[in-house]
Amino acid sequence: MPGLSFENYQRNQHLATSGFAVPKTTSTGTTIVGCKFDGGVVIAADTRATAGDIVADKNCEKLHCISSNIWCAGAGTAADTEMVTQIISSNIELHSLSTGRQPRVVTCLTMLKQHLFKYQGHIGAYLIVAGVDPTGPQLMSIHAHGSTDIGYYLSLGSGSMAAMAVLESKWKREMNKEEAMALCTEAIESGIWNDLGSGSNVDMCVMEVGKDSVLHRNYRTPNVRAQKERSYKFARGTTGILGQTVRNLVDVVEVPIANEEMEVDS
Amino acid sequence: MFLTRSEYDRGVNTFSPEGRLFQVEYSLEAIKLGSTAIGVQTSEGVILGVEKRVTSSLLEASSIEKIIEIDRHVGCAMSGLTADARTMIDHARVESVNHDLYFDEPIKVESVTQAVCDLALRFGEGASGEKRIMSRPFGVALLIAGIDENGPQLYHAEPSGTFYRYDAKAIGSGSEGAQAELQNEYHKSLTLKEAELLVLKTLKQVMEEKLDSKNVQLASVTADKGFRIFSEDEMKVLVDDLEASMVDEEMELQQ
Amino acid sequence: MSLQEALPDSALHSTASSVPIEHRFNPYSDNGGTILGIAGKDFAVLAGDTRNTTGYSINSRYEPKVFHVGDNVVVSANGFAADGNVLVKRLGQQIQWYHYNHNKELKLSSCARLVQHMLYGKRFFPYYVHTILAGLDEDGKGAIYSFDPVGSYEREQCRAGGAAASLIMPFLDNQVNFKNQMDPATNGTEPHPITYLSLEEVLQLVKDAFSSATERHIQVGDGLEILIVTKDGVRTEYSPLKRD
Repeated sequence: MPGLSFENYQRNQHLATSGFAVPKTTSTGTTIVGCKFDGGVVIAADTRATAGDIVADKNCEKLHCISSNIWCAGAGTAADTEMVTQIISSNIELHSLSTGRQPRVVTCLTMLKQHLFKYQGHIGAYLIVAGVDPTGPQLMSIHAHGSTDIGYYLSLGSGSMAAMAVLESKWKREMNKEEAMALCTEAIESGIWNDLGSGSNVDMCVMEVGKDSVLHRNYRTPNVRAQKERSYKFARGTTGILGQTVRNLVDVVEVPIANEEMEVDS
Repeated sequence: MFLTRSEYDRGVNTFSPEGRLFQVEYSLEAIKLGSTAIGVQTSEGVILGVEKRVTSSLLEASSIEKIIEIDRHVGCAMSGLTADARTMIDHARVESVNHDLYFDEPIKVESVTQAVCDLALRFGEGASGEKRIMSRPFGVALLIAGIDENGPQLYHAEPSGTFYRYDAKAIGSGSEGAQAELQNEYHKSLTLKEAELLVLKTLKQVMEEKLDSKNVQLASVTADKGFRIFSEDEMKVLVDDLEASMVDEEMELQQ
Repeated sequence: MSLQEALPDSALHSTASSVPIEHRFNPYSDNGGTILGIAGKDFAVLAGDTRNTTGYSINSRYEPKVFHVGDNVVVSANGFAADGNVLVKRLGQQIQWYHYNHNKELKLSSCARLVQHMLYGKRFFPYYVHTILAGLDEDGKGAIYSFDPVGSYEREQCRAGGAAASLIMPFLDNQVNFKNQMDPATNGTEPHPITYLSLEEVLQLVKDAFSSATERHIQVGDGLEILIVTKDGVRTEYSPLKRD
């Protein structure tokens, strides 16, 4: 059956009105950025996933591979960004196979916006798509309702303002790879420190013309877990023994072996 | 009187040119008309004693209430216009109960006394829109006895709104003689039992009627029993003890 | 059966059009943060992180919320910061007034009762705070009192309040009151004996509780301020927490 199933929609709404809370989705209350440079494009993300006020995952991956030359940074509902990326990844692969051409970023963008628009924002995926295709380095973004943007530098997610503050003040034309990577790192870190929805580490993906794209998983780790003051190892015997039963599953019977010649089939 | 005090003894909120508030001074006179009340503080507790003027043999003596409980640990004896004391005691009780409610602890004896004295000056026109609650100063003085973390204490609260702490104090018509007697007899190492007899003996000296178990009343405040008014039976025993001790003294004197 | 009949009327219209939306001023907000109090034999500690937030923003990385209000009493009202500040300020003034009126120190138990009345006094427009009081009782033993927003209170050995209370409290139950622990010396047959922790141990537990809460709660972090009450007075210790 194609598409999403809505068969439980009415039941769930009824449940919600009669006091059963709708389960919380994991949100990548996030900072993601992207920035073009001479001969390529770089995208970066933080690694915090939240469920309400609680940190659900301290080191999640928000950089998704669509094809070898196209990567995508996702913000919003974690499941939606993962699924929509996988679906489009499959379709891009098929599309590339049937056309016999390298996939293009605009193709991804069109497929994504058509998909997301169809679901009227119910698929909560906010994405920055970037890649290097035959038309050169590309950097674009999509919102859950289907609107898209193109830019030299972009940011999305709850930490987008913190990140954009850095991008707006430090971005310049004609940057080299190192400069773009440093800028994106600083923008993501700005989100990590100043946005509560973002935290932990910086992931980065660099896509360069004529080269394989490189994923820098945990490119920066400025939030290593603090050393605990005490040891919380429990001494043996801390767990109470409520009862003890021993059951013999096998009866062991000792049979003396008669010292006879073994019978052999003839 | 009419010549010397003239205009200035009318209003409760007008000073005389000599800087006196006559109505307040007159209220002190009202106390001097009242029956005698005595309080003696010891290290074990405080004893209060009052004279009851049983003016008629038809009068039910037990209906004369001049020693009243304020809280478990505070009580008071009064002299003067005893009806006025109701207002003060009501106020003291509210203040005491509220303190227990707000702070989960018994109020200090001094704080109860202060609360009563705050009320004493709320006569005349109310200041800054406050409702005026009384037209004249109180005509009654209180001996407030109680026990708290600072030990047993005795306070004297006057209609003028001032209060002092005493080791032993007498108020009312016989106060002059009684105070002189207390001055002679009081010492710091007095026991509670001795204080009971001292109060009774002093009352006996200043009372016009002959002292018996009906026309005096005693109360004590101690750490373990709190405030307690002596029962009629206890009074009888005490009066008998007093008689006996008086006889002993006379014997000694004769020898 | 047609679709029209199958669906209830409301399902065909958006809920927004059928139910009028009431716009109302909301006087409360949540400023996050967490507090934690532990009582020892002859001391008590009350700790709080120093981060102040609204929504996903950090208002301040150092905004203390645990205060010494006089008479060896420390207090913190965590939740809506404006209400918390007013409550603490008013409590300080009430203690001053108590000195003027009664000329003596306010006992911790009396202070707790006073706080109850201050909170219940706003029963129908409550202070949106979880309040914890720490100090020494009349016998010099450490004491913690905790309050709900409208004044219900209880003396306890330890209590966590605020955003990460649900993360810290089970840890405290296990480490301070030895819940779900048997005595290893008896090989798990007798419950762990209840013993007082030393100040050093308590401070370690507090720091670990906060560094762990910082890891998993987005509103907790930046700094940890611990107020320590002993018979010699109130002492403050600060240590940094993660800032992400």
